[in-house]
Amino acid sequence: MAYSDKVIDHYNNPRNVGQLDKSSETVGTGLVGAPECGDVMRLQIRVNPETQVIEEAKFKTFGCGSAIASSSLATEWVKGKTVEEALQIKNTDIVKELSLPPVKIHCSVLAEDAIRAAIGDWKKKNGVAETEAATQAVAAQ
Amino acid sequence: MCAECGKVQPASAVQDYFAVFGLPRKLAIDTAGLERSFYKLSRKLHPDVYARASAEEQQWSLEQTSLLNDAYRTLKNPVARTEYLLKLEGKPVASEEQAAQDGKPKDSRAPVDMLEEVFELNMQLEEMRMNRKMGEDDPALRGDLEKARQQFEGQLTALDEELKTQWQQWDAAVDAGATDGAEQVKDKMFALLDRRRYIRNLVRDVNDALGA
Repeated sequence: MAYSDKVIDHYNNPRNVGQLDKSSETVGTGLVGAPECGDVMRLQIRVNPETQVIEEAKFKTFGCGSAIASSSLATEWVKGKTVEEALQIKNTDIVKELSLPPVKIHCSVLAEDAIRAAIGDWKKKNGVAETEAATQAVAAQ
Repeated sequence: MCAECGKVQPASAVQDYFAVFGLPRKLAIDTAGLERSFYKLSRKLHPDVYARASAEEQQWSLEQTSLLNDAYRTLKNPVARTEYLLKLEGKPVASEEQAAQDGKPKDSRAPVDMLEEVFELNMQLEEMRMNRKMGEDDPALRGDLEKARQQFEGQLTALDEELKTQWQQWDAAVDAGATDGAEQVKDKMFALLDRRRYIRNLVRDVNDALGA
């Protein structure tokens, strides 16, 4: 199966690979995985406590090229958004941007789940009321 | 096979792989007995036996033989057998393709502590691969990974034992004619198979990284 140019670009030059301090109050960590293909994805955000803007995002993904590209793109997209704005990112946006074939759609779902899980973790740490979307993400864990 | 004349019937008349062997949909199967039935049926259904029969019967014999082979391959393997039963009972274990068509992975998510374990392991595997690429070997890392492999293989054995316990529950439900209420057992088996696949993939990855 051929990967789209954008997937290849993210795969070869992944943005924001790395790790943030998990124990920091301003950092939210989302760890998600798909048992059927063995993908694991960790996405972390650093949120400005005043503005609730995501100032930094890092990821580390073990999986196929599409999973890596989806999480790489997710970190790019959440940066500069408020947590509420970031929750609006849908897996279908990722599919569109990366031209993922149907068989790789679950990679984008995983990336969306990772964003929600990271935000859910940050909210929990900071006692921010859960929105419905974030509650779902926590339940999914 | 027709019970009265002993002749071949169309394969479409057979309901499922269990029925091929005249078995109820039970999971604790005597595999030695299954093998004997397989050879016995193979001889009866083999296309050679029908070499002089009508074209229709020849076709049926071919279909039946192919069905028999599929049925035997599926039922003799404990995991394939359980997956097959779950599919028959309306709980198909989704493949990656199916999950993709549904637009999302199966709702069964790996527990967080397991994900953490897997994540850490993957970090080590990555390091191991890098080392190998550089022509280096880190005995401590290798030791860790070998320990991890043993641990996962132990988990597989434990999972298989647990699966057998669920088989007994299922079989008891079949005997009691109460399989409709056996949702819990099915869910449990489904989850066990899910976790099994995950761990088997890990064992494969560890073996690859170790160059075993």
